[in-house]
Amino acid sequence: MATNIDILSPANRPGRPSFVSELRAFGGVVRKEWIIFRRYPSWIIAMFVWPVIFPAVYIFTARALAGPNGAGMAIFNQTAGTTDYLGYIAIGTIVWMWQNVVLWNVGFALREEQLRGTLETNWLSPTWRYSFLLGSSVTQLVTMCVFLTVSALEFWLFFGVRYNGNLGLVLLVILAAIPSIYGLGIAFASLVVTAKEAHTFVFLIRGMIMIFCGITYPLSVMPGWMQGVSRWLPQTYVIAAMRQAALGGASFTELLPDLVILLAFGVAWLVIGYLLFSVMERRARQTGAIGQY
Amino acid sequence: MDTWTIEADNLVKKFPHRTAPAEKNANNGQAANIADEHSEQLPAMEPIMIESSQDAPSSRRIWPFKPRKPQGWLTAVAGVSLQIRRGEIFGLLGPNGAGKSTTIRMLCTLLEPTSGTARINGFDIRKQANQVRQSLGIVLGGERSIYWKLTARENLAYFASLYHIPPVQARRRIDELLDRMSLTARADDLVEKFSSGMKQRVAIARALLANPPVILLDEPTIGLDPQAARQVRDLVKELQSEGHTILLTTHYMEEADQLSNRIGIIDQGRIIALDTPTALKERIRSEDIVHLEISGWRPELEKTLKRIPSVDGLAVRYTGRDSVWDVSLQTANSRAVLPVILDSLSHNGTHLVNMNIEKPSLEDVFINLTGKALRD
Repeated sequence: MATNIDILSPANRPGRPSFVSELRAFGGVVRKEWIIFRRYPSWIIAMFVWPVIFPAVYIFTARALAGPNGAGMAIFNQTAGTTDYLGYIAIGTIVWMWQNVVLWNVGFALREEQLRGTLETNWLSPTWRYSFLLGSSVTQLVTMCVFLTVSALEFWLFFGVRYNGNLGLVLLVILAAIPSIYGLGIAFASLVVTAKEAHTFVFLIRGMIMIFCGITYPLSVMPGWMQGVSRWLPQTYVIAAMRQAALGGASFTELLPDLVILLAFGVAWLVIGYLLFSVMERRARQTGAIGQY
Repeated sequence: MDTWTIEADNLVKKFPHRTAPAEKNANNGQAANIADEHSEQLPAMEPIMIESSQDAPSSRRIWPFKPRKPQGWLTAVAGVSLQIRRGEIFGLLGPNGAGKSTTIRMLCTLLEPTSGTARINGFDIRKQANQVRQSLGIVLGGERSIYWKLTARENLAYFASLYHIPPVQARRRIDELLDRMSLTARADDLVEKFSSGMKQRVAIARALLANPPVILLDEPTIGLDPQAARQVRDLVKELQSEGHTILLTTHYMEEADQLSNRIGIIDQGRIIALDTPTALKERIRSEDIVHLEISGWRPELEKTLKRIPSVDGLAVRYTGRDSVWDVSLQTANSRAVLPVILDSLSHNGTHLVNMNIEKPSLEDVFINLTGKALRD
């Protein structure tokens, strides 16, 4: 099929980069991730089963420790400021599960492409490379919204958690938390591409969150140095703000300090994530890591 | 004045390597450790123990993430220069590990050269990487370069967005390419259900989406059955007739011979010969190639045969059949040297299974230049 067109002439070649076309490319990444996600049905199990199983361990432990007729609740109230241990644990575990899923999904997004063999093909295109990470984050965020909603409903249905707070403020906390939760995932993704086997890193990070961020106990029960560490983890503020918004009936003014800190952490983690990505990209071009299995 | 669509100027690529000896000077002809499909070039991230000793701190410490320092360098490409004209098919022919894929990856900006540079369609690969990528259609990794959980159409739509093709044009272009690749009937099936040949056609369609002036094909027929491979070769010829410039890497000498206007033979990271297929074969046209199939072959026989006068080159390869080895000898005077060879083999207890005398092929050119077979 011979033609006489001058293929060197840009007029005969579709595809000129522009801001709109970069947005379109970003949309293509989101769409692709969403299609692939839907074609692995096992996500349904994670979506509906995990929110029930994971917190159940802590809830039943708490019931056992509360003693007959919940006599231990008075002590819990002194340290946590509430007797609603069900909601307390539910909120903490939701945030932990959210960060855990982001670490696995966003954190391994580039690695998954590398294993499939498609990372090189993607990076051969004239598209801003950071779009590939951001695109997978957006898709993951959409599924997480469903996950958080399902979790909240299941806590209400199976554990009797009652939400007395303001839904609008809960959504505001989630929005403020997104940059730091996903920023950590994006930073992690860059490390995973070069380290390859990074499961230990995931276990380490989520272990730190589990211990230091007060997912099932108030921070005051920890030694002083551990409380100091918890102040440097954004998940601590996500959990505290979410509890106040969903359970404690806090106002916007009362939440504001935590929201500001969360946004500051978010900006920092997004910047760290972008810098790590740039370093990783440069290093990968020098060592050929992109095409390595 | 020639218009060069692809120009490479002394491209070098070295990787840090833990176990490689200190770098040897390739210009002195000493062996350099070459890797094409490099696998573990990054420093290992593993725990190391510092043992207590007179020269070390008395307490043991474990450093969990201390990378080992590289002990040497792996030279994958030791200085490749080439110029390819617009509309030419240039074949880069060499064995596994010669540096073909590394060269391609430098040209398409996936790998940063250690030194040297190149221009694709007038754009510098270091300074104008995005423009280089816009000018290129690349097939790397074949069937693994596309998404198996997407349909053929979804794959092409996705990559069309990455190449900034407006949606209306993209749909039209996708339909054209699916038709051209005879995939229209299966366009909405998941790629995981395709044969290898079909997956390769999807990969090629992806490379052609933006109608690039330059196409890089890295081993495009590897793993394909003969019919699928022939279809790909026919397509390459068609693309040339449309005006595309094509750089093709392969270790199949028949493919290079059939398709290429010019061939660069690459070995150990260097281009050791560059010319048209006919001119390359003319270099040893005065030679006959004697092919012997021998059973009972022993490695020491190789030295014996090489010592025979008029034997200019020799390559030995196991055929995979019943202890039968293929011995290819280059000689300017097969009539005179054949009785000597047969006598030598007979005295060493080997048994001649088959014999024929041919004119040189590209593989023989390679043997003549390097002393080993292309498939070794």
